[in-house]
Amino acid sequence: MIVAEGLTKRFGDTTAVSDVSFTVQPGKVTGFLGPNGAGKSTTMRMIVGLDRPTAGRVTVNGQPYRASRAPLTEVGVLLDAKAVHTGRSARAHLRAIAATHGVPKSRVDEVIDLTGIASVAGRRAGKFSLGMGQRLGIAAALLGDPQTLILDEPVNGLDPEGVRWVRQFVRYQAAQGRTVLLSSHLMSEMSLTADHVIVLGRGRVLADAALGELVAAWTATTVLVRTPRPTELVEALTGPGVAVTTKEAGVLHIEGVTAAGIGDIAAAAGIPLHELTPTAGSLEDAYLALTGDAVEYRTKVVAEPTQELS
Amino acid sequence: MTLPAVTDPGATRPAAPSASASGRTSLPDAHLTFARVIRSEAIKLFSLRSTWWSIAVAALLSVGISLLMALASGDFGPRFPPIMAIVAPIQFTMLVAGILGAIAVTGEYSTGMIRSSLTAVPQRGAVLAAKALVMGLFLAVASAVIFAIAVVATAPLLSVQIDWSEPAGSLVPVAYGVLSLTAFALLGVSFGFIIRNGAGAIAATVGLLFVAPIVVSLFTMFGPAWEWVIDLGQYLPVSASQTLTAPGAEEVLPALIALLAWVAAGLIGSWAVLRTRDA
Repeated sequence: MIVAEGLTKRFGDTTAVSDVSFTVQPGKVTGFLGPNGAGKSTTMRMIVGLDRPTAGRVTVNGQPYRASRAPLTEVGVLLDAKAVHTGRSARAHLRAIAATHGVPKSRVDEVIDLTGIASVAGRRAGKFSLGMGQRLGIAAALLGDPQTLILDEPVNGLDPEGVRWVRQFVRYQAAQGRTVLLSSHLMSEMSLTADHVIVLGRGRVLADAALGELVAAWTATTVLVRTPRPTELVEALTGPGVAVTTKEAGVLHIEGVTAAGIGDIAAAAGIPLHELTPTAGSLEDAYLALTGDAVEYRTKVVAEPTQELS
Repeated sequence: MTLPAVTDPGATRPAAPSASASGRTSLPDAHLTFARVIRSEAIKLFSLRSTWWSIAVAALLSVGISLLMALASGDFGPRFPPIMAIVAPIQFTMLVAGILGAIAVTGEYSTGMIRSSLTAVPQRGAVLAAKALVMGLFLAVASAVIFAIAVVATAPLLSVQIDWSEPAGSLVPVAYGVLSLTAFALLGVSFGFIIRNGAGAIAATVGLLFVAPIVVSLFTMFGPAWEWVIDLGQYLPVSASQTLTAPGAEEVLPALIALLAWVAAGLIGSWAVLRTRDA
């Protein structure tokens, strides 16, 4: 369990993290989301004592990380895959970290096998691809068989198989009763992995909720309807809270009425329906709605082509 | 690359029915001790090629210059103390020792390794102490071995043999030579922690060990009003080391204190910045 209370970090005039409080529960995978510069990495660094909070405090399993007698068994952390000396072999890197806690060599071999880097373990880490470096970083995080895993962008650069492995692995860890805090910019992946989501924007907590609740609260469920008599259907549906948009003849996007409601109304009015598809909002939609104003480095909207070139 | 199935119970930890609901670790003996941190630092130092390259360069430089001096010893006259052929190369190897100390630290900062080191061992003073201890011991042993090789290699060439029955002209200068190189490496370690940038730390190390004595020596031209600079210059690390390694030197205590004070100041300064700065 990770508990942050009023956590604040200022670098000069910039406030990276501002009065952030949250609890990361054991037995769940908690997703840590937010635009670049939102303060996710800084918060993670404060959890493991690399950065000192300007104000507030954060504890892991009830005590500050620095106070632990065996930090590697409390928290396994992957902050960035580059926290490795490029001139040292992967195995030597892991052995050096393991040695601080007297973690046996057999465990080093175990995490090497577990993360699939056995064939490159003797090579210098500087020669590693992004994905291999990521696997090495995950291997280091697992050395102490930790209670809590903090993984910053663990799937960054991994191949699809590695992505799936990370997903299954962290779900398995959570199922074992461990605490998992995971950041990623891949919303589709996060929606498959996380049970709970904490969203940061401009250093503040924008949302802290179960994944399903967050999506439900920040997206609308629309129903796609295809009918040969759209005008009549719209008339029949009109009421408070109902919004209808159409982009294509005979196709309606309806908000504010359930698919069942639409079907009933259409049947009562004798209007034939050719398609009736509810489309739920995604985590990505919820995230974008939530962080719309909190994006620090916004990309310009690329102008859509006004006409088709044939 | 195929990864083992996550659900394999043996994959993450042995299926231990006694494991409590809180998911206690499968590694009950895993915890920090200072001896283990020292071991970790030793693995780190010895698993880098740059360590062995640096020592090889220092050995070649040291023994090579010793051999040249031994060859020429006949022309230096009867007053040339033969032990000088062994310890005089410190003038050159001091830079290798200092730079090795500096890059052992700045290499961690430039690669990001320092974050792995400090998350594994959040007691930063322990990381600093262990690194200094390992580096110091390594330099002490390595320079003792290098001097021993030089002694054996120069013996057939020296016009006057080293008289080992008289420590003041043999063992004592060598011992102070070992101490000096160890101290220079630790000064490099200190600059590494304080400056963190490789080029900066190397420049500071070279500046203190090599440039500062030259600057001080310039003041001999400026007359008696500047004599205090010359006097202070005796307490520079390299000047102190020269006093200590001079055969038959008397009154070595101020020089010894000066050399140790430099190391202490450097390590205390390192600790002061390391414990407060974000990593």
